[in-house]
Amino acid sequence: MIKFSSLVFTIITLNSFAQPNCNVYKMKNDEPCYQACLKASEAAELPQGSRKSQLLFDEAISQCPTFDYAYAEKATPYLKRGDFLTWKKLIDQAVQLNPLGQLGYRGWCRFQFLRDYKGAIADLEKLASLTKFDIGYCQNGDYHLNVAKALCYKALGEKKKAIEIIEKQLVQKDYSPMTYDYLHLGVLKMETGDTQQAIDYLKKSIAYNDYLAEPYYYLGLIYKNQNFKKEFKENMEKAKVYYLKGYKRADPYTHPMDKIFLSDIERELKNS
Amino acid sequence: MRILNIMKLLNSVAALILLSALCSCGQTIKDKSTYPDHVGDITFNKNVDDPNFKVCNQDRPPQYYEFGKGLQYEGEKPAIISHFKEKLKNRNLSGQTGYLTIRFIVNCEGKTGFFRIEGIDKNLEKMDFNKELVSEILEVTKQLNKWGVPSRGNTKFDFYQYLTFKLEDGRLIEIMP
Repeated sequence: MIKFSSLVFTIITLNSFAQPNCNVYKMKNDEPCYQACLKASEAAELPQGSRKSQLLFDEAISQCPTFDYAYAEKATPYLKRGDFLTWKKLIDQAVQLNPLGQLGYRGWCRFQFLRDYKGAIADLEKLASLTKFDIGYCQNGDYHLNVAKALCYKALGEKKKAIEIIEKQLVQKDYSPMTYDYLHLGVLKMETGDTQQAIDYLKKSIAYNDYLAEPYYYLGLIYKNQNFKKEFKENMEKAKVYYLKGYKRADPYTHPMDKIFLSDIERELKNS
Repeated sequence: MRILNIMKLLNSVAALILLSALCSCGQTIKDKSTYPDHVGDITFNKNVDDPNFKVCNQDRPPQYYEFGKGLQYEGEKPAIISHFKEKLKNRNLSGQTGYLTIRFIVNCEGKTGFFRIEGIDKNLEKMDFNKELVSEILEVTKQLNKWGVPSRGNTKFDFYQYLTFKLEDGRLIEIMP
């Protein structure tokens, strides 16, 4: 029998965080936390969620009860496997120990896995209130956390506010737009009736990253509303080609906002 | 007499050491039973599970996300959403707000079993949802029969899947993942 464990799949066990630098504890002469850190690092190398890994995190927590990394890492398999109750209890402890380091992660997960928009906004705004520095990026690297917050506002119906937040982020000094920023901004502009800017941003999204069916699909919708049949069909068909080639929003865990599906494209083409 | 007392003391110490060893041994056993082999593993429970449902491979079923393609269902997520919108009654159950998660195994034939249910409220604290509502969502989940089965060569895999239903006053708002 071929064992699953012997096979290589695209995603096996992505740990949530970069492993901590244990030497920080050594330099502080904090031997218990140094040892705990080594144990947690060992746990993070094991299959995520395995008994041995979870027990090692427990040992790390027991040796260094203030070690938020161990709580957060121990929590992660529960999140990914749908046990949100256990995840929340553990991640709350991590946040309590290190709000500055963990609020962004908890907020992002609330958005990504639970569509808990209000909870995510509360965490991200709390994080911003604790620091004068940049609040950073989400765990999978897709978004700046301010953009993730904007998407939460969008989901709650506050689209103008979402636009303001993304536009403000885009002009921040030293900020390089992330892969999907222009796509979301284009869709928001379309949804709020600002057609020309929607087209501009969606084209900008294509210029920035031409490996996505989504901007073509949304451009197609705009042209359909404008009764530009040729442009509608060109873009919608291109969206379909891209989609079938695998050029689309994808995430192994959840469905990202503004993601489209093949049935969306085919419905539009069929009704045209 | 003094020797006898020393003997008694040594016996007591030995007994304490033995007790301590037993306790720590018990602790180790307890620790091992604290976790399943892997977080989220579901084992057969004759009181709730269908004895006819079989997991094809002896190895632990992987999680759906371990194949790197997300949720795999014919017609993708829109087909799942349509299924529930079509089959679930449109209810208004005041206070039935939160997240209801159903975890289960999809076997190598695309059949489902070993369903486990957990409810949390909007603050992500434990919540027991209305039994009728839970039962209906579970039954409709069981009717999903177009799961994609991951394979490699001639081997088809079983896998763990979950569906989380975001509910507001009993109404379905979103389905994750």
